[in-house]
Amino acid sequence: MDLVKYLTFSMILFLLGIWGIFLNRKNILIMLMSIELMLLAVNLNFLVFSVYLDDMMGQLFALFVLTVAAAESAIGLALLVITFRIRGTIAVEFINCMKG
Amino acid sequence: VNIIKSTESLHEILFLFLEVGLILGSLGVVILTNIVYSAFFLALVFVCISLLYLLLNADFVATAQILIYVGAINILIVFAVMLINKPQSFNFFPSWTTGDGITCAACTGLFFLLITTISDTSWSEIYLVTQSNNIVEQDLGGNIQRIGYLLLTEFLLPFELLSIILLVALIGAITVARREKILEMRVKSQALQAKED
Repeated sequence: MDLVKYLTFSMILFLLGIWGIFLNRKNILIMLMSIELMLLAVNLNFLVFSVYLDDMMGQLFALFVLTVAAAESAIGLALLVITFRIRGTIAVEFINCMKG
Repeated sequence: VNIIKSTESLHEILFLFLEVGLILGSLGVVILTNIVYSAFFLALVFVCISLLYLLLNADFVATAQILIYVGAINILIVFAVMLINKPQSFNFFPSWTTGDGITCAACTGLFFLLITTISDTSWSEIYLVTQSNNIVEQDLGGNIQRIGYLLLTEFLLPFELLSIILLVALIGAITVARREKILEMRVKSQALQAKED
């Protein structure tokens, strides 16, 4: 019963992240935050199964996911700042308009 | 190894508190229009998840989560929020479009499907097939010793590749954010040369 509760909450977090991506098409920063929410839900899932199966692999993989999420966040935010500097807007719908 | 000496009911109460905080925090991140509030609710979500990891006896991952997520990623996000000054809208929640309704219906459908899948699966029949026969590994107590041992023996290649990923991210982010100055200087020198001719 404990496992089912943890898995349910991890799934709720993941679905809220997905909903957040579709809800905030005008604001790419909130989309990045929703992606972080989804990564957190997956991390929680890994850790729950690591405790349940008594295997250390889950915690290690959660650490890997943490590191890759940090690197991806840094690059994503750098790109976001440059995009805002050049275009003056962070709406996602105008990103496919190339100049020239 | 149990870190928190707690009874069953204390475990339940803490779990409930953290879950309520998590759900409210993530709803706040996703729904609110003010980006600054979203960034701070995201910090609340990170801290709640870290405490949840502590409840699951994963002390190293909980500490790493606070250090990396709250200490680095959230600060980056707050910096990005401060660099992007959007016009202030005075309503807390955004207006509801039909696309939002379709997405909400799809997510709720997915939620019910997954709830039935999770509660119908017999989790008690799943057990780990391969058990570690290594004497050294069974001797190590504590989470961080076991993580350190595994990182340097079985998972050495991912560990080294992770450092390469971090190096690439560092160099890439700095290069991307710096390119404007080089372009400006090149344009100015070309303009000066054109003037002299």
